[in-house]
Amino acid sequence: MIRVGVDVGGTFTDLVLERVEGARRQVFTHKVASTIADQSIAVVRGVVELCAIAGVQPDQIDALFHGTTVATNIVIERNGAEVGMITTRGFRDILHMGRHKRPHNFSLQFDVPWQSAPLIKRRNRIVVDERILPPDGRVEMKLDEDQVERAAELFAERGLEAVVVGFLFSFLNNDHEMRAAEIVRRVLPEAFVCASSEVVNTIREYERFSTAAMNAYIGPKTKRYLDNLQRRLAGAGVRAIVRIMQSNGGISTVEQASRNPVGLLLSGPAGGVIGGRWTGAACDQRDIITIDIGGTSADISVIRDGALTIKNPRDTEVAHLPVLVPMIDIDAIGAGGGSIAYVDSGGAFRVGPKSAGAEPGPACYGKGGTHPTVTDAQVVLGRLDPEHFLGGGLAIDPALSEQAIRMHLAEPLGMSVKDAALGVLKIINNNMALAIASNSVARGIDPRNYSLMAFGGAGPLHGVALGEMIAAKNVISPLHPGITAAMGLLVTEPRYEFTQSSLAILQAAGAAELAAVNGVYDRLKEEAAAQLAADGIPPERQKFERVAECRYVGQGFELRVPVPDGPFTAESAQEMARRFFAVHRTEYGHAFEDQAVQMVTLRVIGSSESDTLMLPMLETGGRRNPSEAALYARLTTFDSGETIQTPRFDRMKLRAADVVVGPAVIVQQNSTTIVPPGYAATVRKIGDLVIARDMQEG
Amino acid sequence: MGQDMDRTIDPITLQVIGGALHAIAEQMGNVLYRMSYSSIIRESQDLGAGLFDLDYNTLCESDSTPMHIGSIPGYLRGIEKSIPKDSWRPGDVVIHNHPYYGASHSPDIGIVMPIFYRGELVGFSANTAHHLDIGAATPGLIIDVPDVFAEGMLLNGLKLAEAGVRNETLWRYISGNTRVPGLVMRDLEAQIAAAELGVKRYCELMDTYGRDTVEQAAAQLMDYSERMLRREIAKIPDGDYTAEGFMDDDGRTRDVRLPIKVTVRVRGDDVEVDLTGSSPQVPTAFNVPFEGSTKVACYFAFRALLLDTYTNQEYIPQNEGSFRPVKVTAPLGSIFNPIAPAACEARFNQIQRVVDLIIKALAPVLPEKSTAGNAACLSFASYSGVRESGDYWVLIEVNEAAMGGRPHSDGPDTIEELMRNTRNNPLEDLGMHLPMICDRYEIRDDVFPGAGKYRGGMGVVKSQRFLTPGFMTHESDRNEDAPWGIFGGTDGVPARVRIHNAARAEEPRDVHAKFSGMRAELGDVVSYLSPCGGGFGNPLERAPAKVLDDLLDGFISADHAREVYGVVFKPVSNGYGWGLDEAATEALRAQRRVA
Repeated sequence: MIRVGVDVGGTFTDLVLERVEGARRQVFTHKVASTIADQSIAVVRGVVELCAIAGVQPDQIDALFHGTTVATNIVIERNGAEVGMITTRGFRDILHMGRHKRPHNFSLQFDVPWQSAPLIKRRNRIVVDERILPPDGRVEMKLDEDQVERAAELFAERGLEAVVVGFLFSFLNNDHEMRAAEIVRRVLPEAFVCASSEVVNTIREYERFSTAAMNAYIGPKTKRYLDNLQRRLAGAGVRAIVRIMQSNGGISTVEQASRNPVGLLLSGPAGGVIGGRWTGAACDQRDIITIDIGGTSADISVIRDGALTIKNPRDTEVAHLPVLVPMIDIDAIGAGGGSIAYVDSGGAFRVGPKSAGAEPGPACYGKGGTHPTVTDAQVVLGRLDPEHFLGGGLAIDPALSEQAIRMHLAEPLGMSVKDAALGVLKIINNNMALAIASNSVARGIDPRNYSLMAFGGAGPLHGVALGEMIAAKNVISPLHPGITAAMGLLVTEPRYEFTQSSLAILQAAGAAELAAVNGVYDRLKEEAAAQLAADGIPPERQKFERVAECRYVGQGFELRVPVPDGPFTAESAQEMARRFFAVHRTEYGHAFEDQAVQMVTLRVIGSSESDTLMLPMLETGGRRNPSEAALYARLTTFDSGETIQTPRFDRMKLRAADVVVGPAVIVQQNSTTIVPPGYAATVRKIGDLVIARDMQEG
Repeated sequence: MGQDMDRTIDPITLQVIGGALHAIAEQMGNVLYRMSYSSIIRESQDLGAGLFDLDYNTLCESDSTPMHIGSIPGYLRGIEKSIPKDSWRPGDVVIHNHPYYGASHSPDIGIVMPIFYRGELVGFSANTAHHLDIGAATPGLIIDVPDVFAEGMLLNGLKLAEAGVRNETLWRYISGNTRVPGLVMRDLEAQIAAAELGVKRYCELMDTYGRDTVEQAAAQLMDYSERMLRREIAKIPDGDYTAEGFMDDDGRTRDVRLPIKVTVRVRGDDVEVDLTGSSPQVPTAFNVPFEGSTKVACYFAFRALLLDTYTNQEYIPQNEGSFRPVKVTAPLGSIFNPIAPAACEARFNQIQRVVDLIIKALAPVLPEKSTAGNAACLSFASYSGVRESGDYWVLIEVNEAAMGGRPHSDGPDTIEELMRNTRNNPLEDLGMHLPMICDRYEIRDDVFPGAGKYRGGMGVVKSQRFLTPGFMTHESDRNEDAPWGIFGGTDGVPARVRIHNAARAEEPRDVHAKFSGMRAELGDVVSYLSPCGGGFGNPLERAPAKVLDDLLDGFISADHAREVYGVVFKPVSNGYGWGLDEAATEALRAQRRVA
């Protein structure tokens, strides 16, 4: 069995290959430069090279798992399809008005992204006669099919590649939407066509239409990318099944991803969180805060009792546009190794969100960057050794870092270069710590019970400082910090979600309502089972999870509540209400136990256990600061301001149960882990490091 | 900061504490709107939350609705009249909404909790939220009422909980005096939860850094915000800048226009807004509380103009510092500083206009930061009725409008402008629980926006149909005074309010912008058509491609494009109908420029 994981980032494409033959397990990793114009070129190049490294032929690969930023980039760069929309007469501009709130409070010159760069231009939004009425979905006015046909013909004349059908109240009754979509598909057989209720069948028109519009906007291009990928892979002799990472942390077939590309918007960062969960399990930790620190941004997520945090579907947005699809709760902030530090016009010391990126990159790259970055601060403080920077593959010049910090920070602020560099780290770490706090403490999660896992190439440089700021239990530096996301791809499972809005009061549900709820759940489960079966997963390996999004009657925001197994009865409804109170208390600190609770959206998640990745166990060392792994010592400045002669250790020579006591710097290809004085790093069975206060020092 | 901000606290700790304060305010705001029940709070987010020091200076405030930001210090000063500082106990919860004691207006109820740290009072955690109904003369909103007592419950610095023990009598009193206790009482709970969170987080911050450091940092952050604003004020040439406009009427005496006059006096790095010359106070609720509303509007105007968060990269902390350089003057007895017991609940349209007139007054010296005339109004609609059960239903809805053209971009269409920034109610959500149905919610198509190099924003049209008999009050303005064009741009379009009955084949009839307690029949449809913004700059300089976009998107007609913009189209066969005739456009524009 040979499986390959490929994670495409803005700078690098990371790859992992796992080969299992009987009891023999081998893992190989590789990194190639990403090809921005067509990611699939680097993917295939990387796969072919990795096969050579592993000594296998491309046609021996059984399965290939892929995390991609293609869909996200289309949205950010706004180069998606020209899309047409057919909508209810009287409501042509729902997508133009949004929720009518402007993105800036204190601004007159602000931009309104959904108006200045709309997913569907007004000229291509055409209204037709039809009317469905709440609360029961009855038809007040029948759909005018001729108008639909004429609109579709006009779209054909205009050469549009994609069409959305979005009618008001279609979550109650989608007959009109489905009929209109059928007509459009007939007139435009080549186009990407979707009805809003097919993409996400939930209440709130702007959010539903926006989700459908996004799906259509990225649809044609994403499909072309996936087709290219399959074609190039086949050309290189790869005959593996291909699976794509979705935003909800599950994988999907290429066909499903092409039909519903809106589920891929977090395909890139999701792999990192899954990899973080898997590393945590290897370290016997089930409560983890992950932070993936790259060049320009850091992605934060929380794993609670081994479970991913799924974002409340009311809050899911991409590029200021609502996208109501299940997503792992990943908070991205503009803080990374390339973040630029500067003194603003009012004299304040700032770091980020502007980044030097990969080009020109930090000052020390010598590629024309003159502004000091977080990486330059690390270099000046002696934490990043030039000979180990990206495995020695990139020459860096510490003098340029020092010059940039002196000129732009130290001199204007009247402080030493060392203090300025320490300040850069303190401010960037604080920004990250605040973001972690708003994703944890602010939601009733006590970081003192959590491990902080800092990964991405720069992660382990910041890990201990962040762990200290948020008072985490300990800090984990995974074995391969730079390719955690690619490894995550090899431990994920297929995961499909199906939803339907169906409003019922939990405490007062009568027989008819219970029957309706059971009916919806049965239907959603059938859909999920059909999708899993289509993926070749036999019934005995199919798993189903039921969730209801609930609120107090009258509230506007729902919380996710797991539904008890078995038929939905009056007792299960009461149990749901109790669970809702608990969730409400966790989220907001209060719960009203005498209030009626309403289910709003029902959801079934179909999944299947998949193979997991097994890394080879290390020999047991049990040594303290093993001299066999020691390299050399060099002056290094820590956050306290102390500059100490600090030994370097080669991570690849550490064995299980070895302990490295700080001050120490542990180096490996692509990453450096800092162990400050007073801390000790313990090597776990497959090579992950768990760093905590050194108790032996007392 | 190297020079004067690091004297006592290093710049790094300062950033850390500044970030933490901002995060606390945001969390308070989030808890409040997510937990609350009424759509005016949970969907519209008509609220504010923050932390305040012992002198009632704003340390931080949530990024919610600008009207609320800056109003809470007024509440605290008003409360001090009934609760001196030495009368606070840990666990107190005070409720306040008296407009003559600092409240923004009576429906914006403030909830305040003292923050005690190691036994000493160190500050206040507070928030305000717009409540759906406080038992006024008409459900939800009021216009034509005789005095402040007709606004409903006046809660003047009352302890809703004392030392942690809830005052059940007061709780029952409030519950018994609103038409929708199920929503109002739960919203109050959400406000208390948000205030408690602020108390807890501020104490934790002091645990981490020490009280002295936190207070010193807060003081320095206020100085920083003040300095950033003063530096921008100093760049404006000294002088008196004036602009004038008028409001339709006071909601009772029709056809008597109410003048609004704004004089901006710039002296060095100080600025004064003088509203002398504006209308005397009026006998309806169409007056503006001075402390909680008039002043707040003026503070907002200078932040938005001079420290625009879109054009300035740096985050300027939202605190007291940005209020200090701005002095506000309004004669006692005027519409902007009424004498008790004048009613003063319906104040939003007037303060929107103050902000717009400040922009207009300064536009000649700040062309790069200004806008053409904005809609600068507010359509605040209260729909209500009695269910078969005998319970009231009340909906308050804010209808958006549009902005004027700007130096480098068109005025945004259908948007919350200036002092407001609420979210609309999803039509599908309303339809599920109210006996109303929306028949139309679109961009206006009966008029063209103000023309210019950058055009004005398009207004909205929204039509709501009553499915049972009910009541309606509409607080609005600007049916008469169109938003102005500037630097060669043409004027925008005033608002319209129209009513017809869907069951009868009748033409909609135009009504005044304001009406109180109208009895609606089954099938009555009320349509609001908001103003459209004025144009910025000469229309002949507008990029022809943008004019073509406007034509294809249905914002203008081909005739309008030719007459006003000097742009000529020719038929094309790509499915869109029209393309640019570049040669004819060039010729026509050359001819126009000569003329």
